[in-house]
Amino acid sequence: MVDEHDKLLPVANVGRIMKQMLPPTAKVSKEAKETIQECATEFISFVTGEASDKCHKENRKTVNGDDICWALASLGFDDSSEAIVRYLSKYREFEREKAAASSSATSVVKEENVDKASAGSSNS
Amino acid sequence: MRQAGVYSGILSGGGISGRTGPHLLPLARIKKIMKKSSVDVKMISGEAPLVFSKACELFIEELTKRSWNMTIQGKRRTLHKEDVASALATTDVFDFLINLVYPNASDHPNLNEEYTEKKQ
Repeated sequence: MVDEHDKLLPVANVGRIMKQMLPPTAKVSKEAKETIQECATEFISFVTGEASDKCHKENRKTVNGDDICWALASLGFDDSSEAIVRYLSKYREFEREKAAASSSATSVVKEENVDKASAGSSNS
Repeated sequence: MRQAGVYSGILSGGGISGRTGPHLLPLARIKKIMKKSSVDVKMISGEAPLVFSKACELFIEELTKRSWNMTIQGKRRTLHKEDVASALATTDVFDFLINLVYPNASDHPNLNEEYTEKKQ
């Protein structure tokens, strides 16, 4: 049995983001919150569709972050597009640093193994 | 499964919004919505839902801000669905959402005028 709510962004999360934009005394009706929940969900579908079309035309199977950025700009979400491009480049930098850190850790382990192996062979 | 908090701490420290803390929207749910959007969507890179979590946040913020402006114009303190509809009607980039909120644009007094103008 499919839960209808699985198809939408969680309303609690949406509500939290909304609250950050409003004065503390502001109130939001349940219906308004649900409307924005539906709009945000549709936003994902809409932008993904555009990004996916681009991938399809370029014979690529995977929709990536750059495709999303392109789709945002293409559909007129210029401000978002610029902010997301910066966000994405920071994320990629973080991933690169993480990969570099883990590969240097691996090479240290390899060196230790080589030392152990050569010590072992010299004993036999 | 990665810890969302780690990324957000790295990315948002001195970043665009300056806000720290875990992602405001669940990445798994975003991925599900992306997959359902089109039969063409076959594979999604790991970074795509992350990008959307930020993009959706910005989208919700913008729509909320514009909707609230409508509430204020109506001299009210409670944001209603009609305020959201008015914000959609008066923002070109949100055109794709008008039918979502009011399937028949003529149902809404503000939208009717906008809708008729655009058709002409």
